[in-house]
Amino acid sequence: MSSYNSPERNSSFLQSRLLGDRCQWIGTVMTWSRLQGELKASRNAVRMSMTQGAREKGRGSKRQSEEGELCHQESRKRACEFTSDDSDVKRLSGREQRRHATEVEKEDSNRELEEVCAVDSQKELEGNAERCKKDMDGLENDPPLESVEKVSFRINCKCSGSLSRCITAQEVSKVMGIGLSQMLGWKADLKNPKLEINVYLSDDYCLLGIPLTRSPLANRSYIKTTGLRSTIAWAMASLAQIQPGFRVLDPMCGVGTILIEAAKEHEAACFLGVDVDDGQLLKAEKNIAFAELWSRAHLLKASSLVLPLPSASVDAVVCDLPFGRKFSTRENMAEKLPLILREMERVLCVGGTLVVLLSPQLSFLLKKLLQTRTGPKENEEAESHAGINNCLPSSSEKQSSSSQEALNFSTLRHQSTQRVSLGLIDGLIHKYIKTLD
Amino acid sequence: MKLLTHNMLTSHVKGVTKGYPLLIKATEVKVNEVEFNPKFVCRMIPKLEWSALVQAADQLGHRDDLPRELVPDFEKNEDFLKKVHRVLLEVEVIEGCLKCPESGREFPISRGIPNMLLNEDEA
Repeated sequence: MSSYNSPERNSSFLQSRLLGDRCQWIGTVMTWSRLQGELKASRNAVRMSMTQGAREKGRGSKRQSEEGELCHQESRKRACEFTSDDSDVKRLSGREQRRHATEVEKEDSNRELEEVCAVDSQKELEGNAERCKKDMDGLENDPPLESVEKVSFRINCKCSGSLSRCITAQEVSKVMGIGLSQMLGWKADLKNPKLEINVYLSDDYCLLGIPLTRSPLANRSYIKTTGLRSTIAWAMASLAQIQPGFRVLDPMCGVGTILIEAAKEHEAACFLGVDVDDGQLLKAEKNIAFAELWSRAHLLKASSLVLPLPSASVDAVVCDLPFGRKFSTRENMAEKLPLILREMERVLCVGGTLVVLLSPQLSFLLKKLLQTRTGPKENEEAESHAGINNCLPSSSEKQSSSSQEALNFSTLRHQSTQRVSLGLIDGLIHKYIKTLD
Repeated sequence: MKLLTHNMLTSHVKGVTKGYPLLIKATEVKVNEVEFNPKFVCRMIPKLEWSALVQAADQLGHRDDLPRELVPDFEKNEDFLKKVHRVLLEVEVIEGCLKCPESGREFPISRGIPNMLLNEDEA
């Protein structure tokens, strides 16, 4: 999003871009409240059958744990943190942009609906959600206004990137709050609102949405000490395409978040976490025990530079390479990256998957390292940053003599790169597959 | 350390060519009951170095009647799968060490976690 220097222009700009159409808001909120109703009803239904079961068979506790499982599966699978292109507002201009902003909002709610459809194990609910969607389409023409007149709301806003220097989250919240009150007669309520509205503005995109669940998606009942945000960990595990019988390695496992997310999802695979730090291993051990995964998730103290594993002995490697504010090893990391990657490549079997989370700097470095080897052909395949890639050869030629020897990832094939938000900073998930040659 | 992990571990001391399997010297071994997951055991068996598993179970005194050779059609043999389940997942070395068969380097196991860190001159 572009911005202006004068606050007045900023606020009218925001108002026009973010608020959009009245009917759109009403339609979305109608859908949202129906979905809340459906979710509540389905939860009650499960609870009822549970208490019935308890009365009949006296096995309440087991059923309860099943219900718990169902709930966090639901929320886990809604992890959808990938930034998507369709919310890229930057390149659009003028009226188009305004339209797009409201479309984004609509798409968001649709996507949430689709997620519910996709994840819920109860077919009935799926049907209901489907019906809701249809109702929503019908509503857009003639929304019954009475039921959405007394909505209380709260706006959660986040601004990042260079944009945050021009517009603060408070300003956006204020503009949105006043705008919504005027347009729809809704009341702001910071403490106990009926509706939460999330706004996220960055240099690349603008997201506007209504969360379906009260607690954050990353909440986990089975994790004691959190490391990496669990939605990101889940996404990484799912990219690794773990199959039954796989041996999955995290050579820098920290407190074990990725392994736990992966192990919860894949019951017939085994997981090995490696770390050099006793403190981290201790926490990982407690996490694994708490998540009741001790039979399939095991730990080892070793260095990711020299793993005590035979070559081609694991089927997938997942790793969050330490970087950023929590760690002071960033400098070393850039230096060690080639060696760590080479060791990961060594232990992977042919056809095995490597999924790594990197800082933007390390991601750039890794791309550069791999390019010195693969030449121009891979350049075309590599996603994004095409402009940057083209500027590279002069600098990489200088380094190639030193890095090419250390680096010979001749078998790692780049599959995809995803940018994810880690809160204050962004990270990039790279995926590679080990091939024969 | 469970024997499933041991089955993957190799000595990585510089210059060692035959660092597998590591010999186990245990001072404390525990047997914890773990829920039997036949699908998991079935899927893991083809990935195992069978002889190394038998040898490790033997060293811990928990081999019982685990056969020297992998039995054919083990998928349908629940009795056999349960035996494998037991040595793979239930038997656990809490204290002791792992010894490299070639260099004799010992890697301590404490509180169930093997320490495979090498000194700088060993890597």
